Order: sequence, then C-alpha cells, then structure tokens
Amino acid sequence: MLDGHDIESSTNAVKGVTSAVEAGDLSFSYGDRPVLNDLSLTVPQGIAFGMLGANGSGKTTLVRLLAGLLQPATGQVRVLGHAPEPGFSDRIGYMPQLNALYMSLTVRENVDFFARMYGVKDRRKRAESVDSVLDLVELADRRDDRITSLSGGMRQRVSLAVALVHAPPVLLLDEPTVGLDPELRATFWEHFGRMTREGTTILVSSHTMDDASHCDRLGFLRDGRFIAEGTPDELRATTGSTSASLEDAFLHLVRTGVHSGNRVESTDRAPRS
Amino acid sequence: MTYDRTIAIAVRVVREIVRDRRSLALIFAAPLVVMALVGFSFSDRPDTLDRVAPALISVFALLFTFMLTGISFLRERTQGTLERLMVTPVGRGDVLVGYLLGFLVFAAMQSLIILSFTLFVVDVNYRGDLWQMFVVLMVLTVFGVNLGIFASTFARNEFQVVQLIPLLFAPQIFLSGIVLPVEELPGYFERPAEVLPLTHAVRALQEIMLRGGSLGDVLSELGVLAAYAIGLLTVAAVTVRRT
Repeated sequence: MLDGHDIESSTNAVKGVTSAVEAGDLSFSYGDRPVLNDLSLTVPQGIAFGMLGANGSGKTTLVRLLAGLLQPATGQVRVLGHAPEPGFSDRIGYMPQLNALYMSLTVRENVDFFARMYGVKDRRKRAESVDSVLDLVELADRRDDRITSLSGGMRQRVSLAVALVHAPPVLLLDEPTVGLDPELRATFWEHFGRMTREGTTILVSSHTMDDASHCDRLGFLRDGRFIAEGTPDELRATTGSTSASLEDAFLHLVRTGVHSGNRVESTDRAPRS
Repeated sequence: MTYDRTIAIAVRVVREIVRDRRSLALIFAAPLVVMALVGFSFSDRPDTLDRVAPALISVFALLFTFMLTGISFLRERTQGTLERLMVTPVGRGDVLVGYLLGFLVFAAMQSLIILSFTLFVVDVNYRGDLWQMFVVLMVLTVFGVNLGIFASTFARNEFQVVQLIPLLFAPQIFLSGIVLPVEELPGYFERPAEVLPLTHAVRALQEIMLRGGSLGDVLSELGVLAAYAIGLLTVAAVTVRRT
C-alpha cells in the first residue's frame, strides 16, 4: 500500500505535512534502566507501520513517547509536525495495551465519553460518529451492554472504537491484536487497511509476525533501537532466500547483527510467530 | 477550562458510582453506622457528646470523603483510563475539576448524612443555624476531596492509599482539638496544630454549633480551609501521574 495511493487527495491525510511521525536520536530510561537508545524513526502519512519486537524491547515506551505520555531524555519527537505532550492534539487516536475502559458504563457510553473528550460537542454528530464506529467494530448490537458483560475480544474492539471515534489522522495502537482470535485479527487488519487507504497513518506495536505481514513498513526493535527497517519484502530479502518468512528475517538480522547501519548483538530471542 | 468536558467527566464519575450498587450502599450506610456507634458510646454522657460532636463530625466527614475520593481516583490510573484521558485534548485542570465535581456529589451527601444523623438522631444539642454548619462542612468536604485526589497522585495502589490514612489523619486527630483542646496541648504542638486544616474546620464548627456563631465569625477559618483546598488541587494538577 505504500505509495500505492495518492496521500494528498486522501480524506484523512493532513495537508502540508510530509511525515506523520518523525523521531530522532530518542533515548529514554526508567531510572537506571535504559529502554530506548538513540532511536530514529520516520513514518510517512497513510501507511501502516509495524513496530515489531520481543517483550521488553521498548515497543510500549516508544508508543507512549509518541503519544506524549512520556518525555524523551534526549532526542525529538514530532507527530504531524508537533511535539506531543498531554492534551496536545485531537489528531491522535491512542489504544493502550490495557483496554482502559470504564467497566460499569455501556459500550456506547464509553465511546461517547471519549468522543466528547476529543471535542465532538454536537450531540447529533457525536451520536453519528459513535454509531458509525460501533458498526465498524461490529458491536452495534451490544451498544447498550456494560463492558463487564463483554468478552476480552469485544473489549478490545470497544477500545479500538474509542481510539477511532474522532477519525484521527494518526493512530497509535499498542498491541491491538493481543488475545484476539484469528478471525477477529483479520477483521481488525481489514479495518486498518481501509483506513490507511483513506490516508490515516497507523503505528502498531506487536510481537507477532502475523501482524507484521499486514504492515506496509516494519521496524524490528531490539534493545531499544531499530535493528532494521523496511517493507516486509525488503526485510525478507535480507535473508537471501525468496521463501523466507518475516520471523526468518528477524532471526537473520539479529544473528548477523548488521542492517541499515545498525549493529546488534547476536541472540536467538525472536518475536512470536 | 472547558465547561463541556469538565461536566462530562463529572457526569461520568457520578454514573460509574451509581452503577456500583454495593459501593453506593456503603457510601450511605457506613457513615450512619459509625455515627450511631458514636451516639451509643456517649449515651450516658450527653454533655460530653455535645462538646466533642463538632470535632467528631469534622473528622468523620473528612475521613469518608478522603477514602471515597482517594481510592476512586487511583482506580482511574490503575485501570489505564486516566492515561487514555490524558492523550485527549483535555487539560489536567479540566480533568481534576471534573473529578472534584463528580466526587463532591457523594462526598456532600455523606457529610450531610453525618451532620443530620448526629444532630437529629443522636440528638446532639446545638445553637447555630443548620445551613451555616452545612456550609462549613462543605468547605471541609471540598478540601477532603482534593486531599484524596492529591494523595492518590503519590500512590501506586489502593494499599498505599490506605497506608496514607494514619499518616495524614493521626496528627490531625490528635492536634486539632478533638482529643484535647489546642490550648491544652504541649507548647511545642501549638504551632503545628495551627497549620493543620482540620483544626480550622473543628474550630469553625465549634463556633457555630456550641456558641451559636455565624459564618461571619469563622471567615478566617473557612479561608484557610479554602486555601488548602485550592492549593492541593493546583499541586495535584502538576503532580498527577498519567500512568
């Protein structure tokens, strides 16, 4: 999908901005424990960018930095040309790893509340947005059910609906498909594919190669930096085999230690397929 | 400050508490049980109860308010909804004032229950106007709500909030004139007692309940309480952790 459609004419792209996300020389530590080390990233508008890595590789920290929930120790972050900070923009949709929903409220009440927080003041317009996004995640028939009565997968879908309700041009999704069955995961990626074609930029963190195969571009995160970045085909090609999987590519890159100018340590740890 | 978002947050807080029927029942029943116990324990000494009632009303109103707010607000953080809220364009001030208004609905009801039950069921004698006592209690309640929000910004779990209760309340209970009048405390405790918010609440309520004073007589005490309330909310807006 990358460069496969006209971003400037897409309905949800932001005009006058070249990249959706730009980050340079990012470092971040929790106390004495470094999590991100001189990480750089550029994501053009209108693509799905996958941040792939094992547990503890820094994916969630990177998503939080991009959302403005954390501030980098060094380096800069720009999302649609602006430095993110709490409350900085209604142009981001954020889906955290936790479902982060109000459990005693209904599906509709949750989505409506966040639509209001994102500034959709008009009641009728808000109702339309809520209905539309609940249709999208196929929960229209459960709209008046409380979150406590929903399954884990349904809660994930409500959480996604909350991130989408204000139709943001940039979506930050932290492991959105964890715990979803294969059918539901495929449905999520159908939605994401449609959104990128409409100009939305989606950054997804994941540790599954199934998610990776749906992305337009991928960054393999390892020990707080990208050890490789490119399209799925480009990354597969690094193995020298045409039949290689993305998991093969990840392991190859980790073991050989060099790609895109980034040196890495040799290890067998890989994201799950 | 964006009025629409603040009100939406307050309505959402109220709705969540109303939906939790068991917590709602406890919010109303617990103060009744505690004040009934107080009434029974002083049944042979009504004069003593008349004298200590303002202090007991103040401390229980503050304690219940603090627990309700501290733990509820902390839950927003642990379940990740506060983090999610902080990514939206809502300002921290809007968020905290929204929570304040939402919690205040129930905290005010608790305070009203404590006051009414003490005056009309336990049958404590009082001189001043009921509405003026309620105003004093409301200022104390706003302070209690803000103290709960403020304290929960420093806690990582419910256990830590509960551990803060003796730390925050023991000095106030012992030094604010509840056990001994402030004038009878050792000299080195007088100055700390003067800076404790509960001292001012107890003094204001004593003035109205026991001596028939009016709000005009306790403006300075109310001013100190209000300053504490505003100060705590302001500091909480700066220190509130998002994750």
